[in-house]
Amino acid sequence: MKFARLWVLIRREALATLRDPFTVSILIAVPLVALFLFSSILSTSVHDLPMGVLDFDRSPTSRRLVAQLEATRSFLPIALATRQQLDQALSDGRLSLALVLPDGLDRGVGKGRPPPGDAARRPQVQVIYDGAETVLAGNAEAFLGATLAATALQDAGVAAAIGQASAGGATSMQRPPVRVLVHALFNPTLDGQPFMIAGTFGFVLSFATTLIIAVSVVNERFSGTFEQLQVTPATTLEIVLGKVLPLSAVFSLDVVLMMLAAGFVWGVWPAGSVIFFLLVSTFYQVISLSLGLLVSATSATAQEAVAKTVLLATPLIQLSGFALPIQNMAWPFRWIAELIPATHYIRVSRGIYLRGEGPLDLIGELSVILLMGLVLGGLALRAVGRRE
Amino acid sequence: MNTEVILRAEGLTRKFGDFTAVDSLNLRVLQGEIFAFLGANGSGKSTTIRMLIGLLRPTAGRAVIDGIDVIATPRRVREHIGYMGQRVSLYQGLSLRENVDFYAGLQSVGGAELERRWGELRERFSLREVENEAASDLPAGLRQRAGLALAILHRPHVLFLDEPTAGVDLAGRALFWELIQEQADQGRTVFVTTHFLEEAEYCDRVSFIDAGRLIADATPAELRERYSGGYLVRASGLAGATLAIAAALKAELSQARAEALIDDNSTLSSEISDTPLEKQRRGHVSIKGSEVSVRLGSLPPERIATLRRAVRAAGAETLSIEPPDMADVFRQLSRVEGGRP
Repeated sequence: MKFARLWVLIRREALATLRDPFTVSILIAVPLVALFLFSSILSTSVHDLPMGVLDFDRSPTSRRLVAQLEATRSFLPIALATRQQLDQALSDGRLSLALVLPDGLDRGVGKGRPPPGDAARRPQVQVIYDGAETVLAGNAEAFLGATLAATALQDAGVAAAIGQASAGGATSMQRPPVRVLVHALFNPTLDGQPFMIAGTFGFVLSFATTLIIAVSVVNERFSGTFEQLQVTPATTLEIVLGKVLPLSAVFSLDVVLMMLAAGFVWGVWPAGSVIFFLLVSTFYQVISLSLGLLVSATSATAQEAVAKTVLLATPLIQLSGFALPIQNMAWPFRWIAELIPATHYIRVSRGIYLRGEGPLDLIGELSVILLMGLVLGGLALRAVGRRE
Repeated sequence: MNTEVILRAEGLTRKFGDFTAVDSLNLRVLQGEIFAFLGANGSGKSTTIRMLIGLLRPTAGRAVIDGIDVIATPRRVREHIGYMGQRVSLYQGLSLRENVDFYAGLQSVGGAELERRWGELRERFSLREVENEAASDLPAGLRQRAGLALAILHRPHVLFLDEPTAGVDLAGRALFWELIQEQADQGRTVFVTTHFLEEAEYCDRVSFIDAGRLIADATPAELRERYSGGYLVRASGLAGATLAIAAALKAELSQARAEALIDDNSTLSSEISDTPLEKQRRGHVSIKGSEVSVRLGSLPPERIATLRRAVRAAGAETLSIEPPDMADVFRQLSRVEGGRP
């Protein structure tokens, strides 16, 4: 490899990228629009959700529970008198979910948490939701479940258990379900925005990066410049690096742009190291850019490259855990999800953004990303250098 | 031009599945030669060029350019060749000068040497005024010239031009061929494909490829003689002079044949005929109304003046001699050698 030649290639690519209105608009618009859309539309946050309350207990405990739920500003309690009213409001769509507080809730909570195996004697709080709105209802249910559990536990005098677990210490005391603990620990209000924003980095760095390099190479093939490059003394490695390095640099700026927008507009800043996040994000682009080169190698026109990239983006959204939890998927899809590079990057970005994790905490995911980068980079090199 | 073979292909074959795009092609191109490689669309021209410049791996055969085995070491040959494809490969977002710097950089030409070389090419190719314009704004003729300048900036020994004048107007094409001729005069070998058959006249040697097979390889004059309807000689005069003109033509041509100035083997005969001129057999003197015509495979320039005097003396008022064109050659070749109508 000759560095002078590589520099010539890098310089040209950087110039062409920054002068191309299509590329520049994608570079600026896609991250910002994606941040806005995903943090607003796909957000798992629950805000002011109309919630019917059928309170058969009418006790201080039940009233406190409803007041606490209302105080989260996630639910808008609407008192209901009968079960018929509840069913009617749900079927009319006036309510998204409803809470049925049984008679005896106050006494049940007052006795404290019953031992395992004695579940039948626990107060049975019912959450009823519209099955047609599964995602929204599921999120609301999860939030409600967590809040109810926390409330019940506080009332039962086990707040100390939560406090100890929050501090990271193991406890042999009676513990609420793990799911409750995890949410309470890292996202106490179960606010979906940080979660979606951290995931959006994965979407943008997978979709826009792949799209830009694929379209760029296909256009070069179409205009003949790529063929011309291949007739010069430039090696395949130089040609690939000449494309990948400047685009990686440009997309790293994009990551900074997204971080600033997420911070200043939505108030979401990474809990972990910014430098670590930037380094991982820059390396992750090797994967996306390699995928883009592979897409370009099999596309005759820019339209075909765009279509293929969009097609690749579908599993990216649905299977990578970006929008839907992987653990809820059937097992074949869980396996497929693990094969998607974005799955691992999104876990890392959420780890850094939400939990402030460092390289050692994420070593498993980082190893997978490194391995995928090497494999896909190698395949891209082969595809570009292949003589038909 | 010397006789050193700079490009040699032996049994060059390329198959795409069951389809054979290029079939056992043998080529020899001499240094400094302008070698035209002609054929219809899909005949295998571009596939051959792509194999010769190392972009496409042949299914079988070998190719050696400037002493380098292209198949075994395709990268090594790149410093020895220049290439200009059907689409002139200038980066649209860059100015012409930025394109020059880019391609020169890849060929390790820079500094004062680049300034000197580009300075010369810029002047000769009349590119000074557009040097700083975006490549996307250049009209077709200028773009082709710029593409040629970029292809020879590193001074390659062999220049491959794949339909370089496509989309260029007549004046632009004439200038372009002038520049190609200059390259050959400097000892550079030019391997060119074109759809404009008349451009083959500018070349030292012309080969035709049909369905992946080489069906002809000769000088333009040889091809014209072998594969065209020949020169069409037409004379006309007053009604009473027709037979005398026909007789004068026959006598002249018999004499020329006797002197071995023309090598037409057909028998000279004459008759009143309705045969269309384009289907007229060689050596057959035809009389139609007041016009007498004959087709000849060859007609040396020194014989034209004699012929003109003889028919004038027989009463002809007009005499026209139409040389055969390459389109004729191509049609005949396709029919005879390619087995196509």
